[in-house]
Amino acid sequence: MTTDAKPTQTSRSRLDPEAMPRRDFLGLTAWWSAAATLLFGFLGAMRLPKAAVLPSPSKKFRITLPASLAPGQPYLPAGRSVALYKEESQVYAISLVCTHLGCIVKATDSGFDCPCHGSKFAKDGSVLKGPAPKALPWREVKHLSGDNFFVDEGKSVPAGTTAGV
Amino acid sequence: MKANKHLLLWSSLAALAVLLWAAVHENFFRDWRVTQREIQARLPSSQADAFTIQLKQIVSREVGATDRCVSCHVGMAPGESGIEGDRLFGRHPDVVHDPASYGCTVCHGGQGRATETADAHGTVPHWPEPMLSKEYLFAGCGGCHTHLSVSNLTQLEEGRARFEQADCLACHKLDGRGGTLRPGGAGGQEGPDLSRVGAYGFKANWYEHHIEQKKKAASGPWISAFGELSASERLATDEYLRSRVGAPGLSEAKALFHTLGCRGCHKVRGVGGDDGPDLTAVGNKDPGQVSFAQVEGERTLANWFKKHFRSPATVVHGSAMPELGLTEQQIDQLTFYVLSLRHRIYPEALWPKDRIRAERFGMREFATDGATLYGTFCAACHGAKGEGMRYPGFTPFPAIGNPDFLRLVSDDFLREQIKRGRPGRRMPAWGQQEGGLRDEEIGRLVAYVRNLGGAAYEGDPKPRRWVQGDAAEGERLFAKACGVCHGERGEGREGPQLNNRVFLDLAADTYLFKTIRNGRKGTSMAGFGGGSSVRGAMTDAEISSIVAFLRTWEGKK
Amino acid sequence: MSDVAEKRSAREESAVGRSLENLKAAPRRFTETVFRSGRPHSDRTRSTFVFGNVFLHLHPVRTHRWSLRWSATWGLGIAAISCFFVLLVTGVLLMFYYKPYPDVAYLSIKDIHFVVPTGRFMRNIHRWSGNIMVVIVLLHMARVFYTAAYRSPREFNWVIGMGLLMATLGLSFTGYLLPWDQLAYWAITIGANIAQSPRELTDALGITEWFDVGGLQKLILLGAEEVGEEALIRFYLFHVMILPLILVILVTVHFWRIRKDGGLARPIDADNRLGPSSGDVYPVFTEAAQKTYSLAAVVKGKTPIVGHGPEQTIPSMPHLLIGEAAVFMLTIALSVILAIFLDAPLKELANPAVPENPAKAPWYFLGLQELVSHSAFMGGIGIPLIVLIGLGLIPYLDRETEGSGLWFGGLGGRSLVIRSAIFGLAAVVAVEAFVIRFGWIRQWWPNTPQMIITFINSGTLLTFLYATYSVWCLRKYNSTRAGALALFTCFVCGFVVLTVVGTYFRGPNWDFYWSPSQWPGH
Repeated sequence: MTTDAKPTQTSRSRLDPEAMPRRDFLGLTAWWSAAATLLFGFLGAMRLPKAAVLPSPSKKFRITLPASLAPGQPYLPAGRSVALYKEESQVYAISLVCTHLGCIVKATDSGFDCPCHGSKFAKDGSVLKGPAPKALPWREVKHLSGDNFFVDEGKSVPAGTTAGV
Repeated sequence: MKANKHLLLWSSLAALAVLLWAAVHENFFRDWRVTQREIQARLPSSQADAFTIQLKQIVSREVGATDRCVSCHVGMAPGESGIEGDRLFGRHPDVVHDPASYGCTVCHGGQGRATETADAHGTVPHWPEPMLSKEYLFAGCGGCHTHLSVSNLTQLEEGRARFEQADCLACHKLDGRGGTLRPGGAGGQEGPDLSRVGAYGFKANWYEHHIEQKKKAASGPWISAFGELSASERLATDEYLRSRVGAPGLSEAKALFHTLGCRGCHKVRGVGGDDGPDLTAVGNKDPGQVSFAQVEGERTLANWFKKHFRSPATVVHGSAMPELGLTEQQIDQLTFYVLSLRHRIYPEALWPKDRIRAERFGMREFATDGATLYGTFCAACHGAKGEGMRYPGFTPFPAIGNPDFLRLVSDDFLREQIKRGRPGRRMPAWGQQEGGLRDEEIGRLVAYVRNLGGAAYEGDPKPRRWVQGDAAEGERLFAKACGVCHGERGEGREGPQLNNRVFLDLAADTYLFKTIRNGRKGTSMAGFGGGSSVRGAMTDAEISSIVAFLRTWEGKK
Repeated sequence: MSDVAEKRSAREESAVGRSLENLKAAPRRFTETVFRSGRPHSDRTRSTFVFGNVFLHLHPVRTHRWSLRWSATWGLGIAAISCFFVLLVTGVLLMFYYKPYPDVAYLSIKDIHFVVPTGRFMRNIHRWSGNIMVVIVLLHMARVFYTAAYRSPREFNWVIGMGLLMATLGLSFTGYLLPWDQLAYWAITIGANIAQSPRELTDALGITEWFDVGGLQKLILLGAEEVGEEALIRFYLFHVMILPLILVILVTVHFWRIRKDGGLARPIDADNRLGPSSGDVYPVFTEAAQKTYSLAAVVKGKTPIVGHGPEQTIPSMPHLLIGEAAVFMLTIALSVILAIFLDAPLKELANPAVPENPAKAPWYFLGLQELVSHSAFMGGIGIPLIVLIGLGLIPYLDRETEGSGLWFGGLGGRSLVIRSAIFGLAAVVAVEAFVIRFGWIRQWWPNTPQMIITFINSGTLLTFLYATYSVWCLRKYNSTRAGALALFTCFVCGFVVLTVVGTYFRGPNWDFYWSPSQWPGH
């Protein structure tokens, strides 16, 4: 293996610090390109843990409300954390996820109670008591036909937004 | 040192180039990204702004599907509209099974997790379930549904003819035809859509109800369209309506299957013969596991089945299935039907009603009238009218509709014969344990077979065993007169096997005696009682000797 | 009073001031404490740097010019560890998404392939560098053998190296099952049954009932009768935990021994062979040579030559490091190039009811599978065991000194290797051709007891031929090294030919075909 030519310094002592070698462009480029490659590879690999799609079902779903649903009585679709209400041909949906730390709140006669840290919400979702920082958000509801509705759990709407039948 | 620096530099740069290319490809040139960019460009500007390029999927916990088909077919994702009116990139047509909760692959097949076109459509090696093509789309229903009570094709066609003659389409829609969309427009009236009436069910007194309405009405389609139906016409119409389950063409395909007698050799869900392979899940066959060496055209399962129906032994080496001489339309229909035999295995909690009825309550997926039963299980071998069949390479199948035969056998004989089969021969045993048929179904079959020949049992006053004869003499005579057709030891050649355990057990002496003496008209079996130009007549004593000789086989084999 | 207060405030002020000063100086100090020897500008500071850095201190501060020649090692050891590094990184990344449970495992691989960002690329890199690593480890072993680098004092490191070979094959094999596709399922089924193959011998001896070592091996491997969820979780555990741990420990010892055994093997007259040095090598000791090893008292062996410095050495930094970096990047480049052009295989979901035909083990076991087609015990356990024991004994049997550190060094040399290669190839091709053309004992006399076939089959025949030939060479040259050269070369030829036959020329039912295009349809 050949080595770079350097000025011969036969008289040098091992105790003498050597002079700086001449600028070595090839060596520097090689080292930096290796470093750049590794860095780029590393950054690319770091994208891997952030999933491109989540394994949860779509937040959008269709629902058929039972005709017998009384005003003010919550309808809780199975597997969804949203409560649907029907008041005089107006339908709206309120999220059941506590705005404090994400527990599922329980619909009561007076509103919603969170079992985890005691937050209480009014019927319209506004905070009455406890550590919850925000009101329970309302969710988008669209009327399809008859008793069929389309709910988007992932989309908040201003409180008071309803869908007419 | 310098060489190493060069090596370090150039291998780093090569790796960097590959990584850069990988990054560019990943972020710009994945199939779904390209498709979504194209869709975005086609969208009206208001929608295009809100459209984000990202992977989309339908996750169905119910059927356990994760389908990313909507990454390209964006309009079919829940709550999306895509390109209005576009068949591929617009909204999914309204169907019973909302794609948002069932996903795509459960009906269409294909590879739901894939995001590259060929992989997703499943037309790649190592994916056993490619997408169903458009023409066989409804074969996908067969994965979960069993479609109850489909009769044979003759009856179904009869029902369809009644339905159309009575002009039901004036008011009712069926598979997109009829109703207010009736050509000419005049007198159209909105009746319920009957496309899936067989799945919903309908009232038994629909006919009486219609008659009442007709009486009340003064004009319009009630007068012009609806006509009276006879009782048999009503039955046929009912049968037709029951088969309307929302899968156009599939019921007809299944009815054809129930006409050609395929289940005489093939079991489907435990009912059928066992000469051929079980077909319960044949539609799930992996195209990668079958040989396309002799199949022209695309390497799809449908093409394989088509070629197979044309010429079974060409496609499957050593196949015992005869060439049935089917028309192209029949081949197409049968292909459709076998593709629908998909039989997915999934939790019972998710089963549809028809499957529960079929697999838990024992309801039949074929109509259980005699004609359909005969068409389903017997017609392939014994002929549509009981005339018997001959296939190249097979011993001839007996003509069970022959009046000479039916006159000599009681219903009990027929019933026992069907139940017990002919061990060692192609006729399987059809009892509940073996072929899966129930007693009442066999009873209906017997009645149907009896009607085929139109001959009643003439009765037998003698005991079952009355013949006295010289068996040694019988052996000599048998070798001379019978052995050619029935085999020297009665093992059966051109004529049926006579040393069969079940046959000898069931056949009374009178039956054997009279068959030998009188023969069977229309078959190769001539009567030996009267002579002919080529051979002399046998005496009753000689015939008795032969019968006595036949009896010596009893208990031997 | 005020005096005291003044003093206190001055003291406080100075303490605060000092803290601020220290804070300002912190970045510089941080650098200094990280790089204790200052910036590595000169050879001397570089040496201190290498010496003081935990990652670099496995290197000597100066490396002999002999060892830095490409032909000395072809960089194979570094390439192997580079592969391992790549595998470690990609493997950990894959673990973010992989789920070790039947069916779900397959789906998670599909997800990795189709939707995980960079997932397909990572899996491909993992797959291909795994294969590259197996190749390189084998080549590395051959290099060490042919340069006679296993000799004293490096005997034990050779044995460690064999442990590393086993660990590498084990890692590759356990990783094979994880995708849970048909390829994986049936390859592992075959592998597990090879583990069970001592039963063939115990059955023949009639002692299986109370001494079932084969059954025990399979049971431990699979945790069940068949490959199933228990097997998958075991393989996963072995693949991501136990074997990497073993490998890391062995690699550490391996590296440490290289240093302690005096660096890479080189001929005694290496300095002469290298010829006059080029400009960058200069006498290290220009003043009176001093005794350099203060620990010499506890160092066994010859006293360091006094009056001579390590004259033919050059600083490891940068000379050795740039070589290592070059090999490392070359390995990475090779992995990513393969990964971008070739997708790692993934067949249908594993189906215990539909065997693959042919079901093939991973390629590096296909030579064994070829032998296994006669006797599962001899092909799967017997012959590999003989080979392993033979390999392990080589450094202890060959205690000659001639030719150490030289390619094909020792008596016989290159010409012996060439002749052995010809013999080895001829023998294996002849035996294979005979068996493929005429069959073997079972085909001729179907009632032959299994015991006879276990001990007389193409594998044992080949082993016997090779052993005889090498003993002949040993006697002819009167040298253990010559015998070892002959035997090793023969086995390498046998391994290569059998692997190629198993990979490319075996089709359904393990029948011989010239090409897969001739395989019969289903």
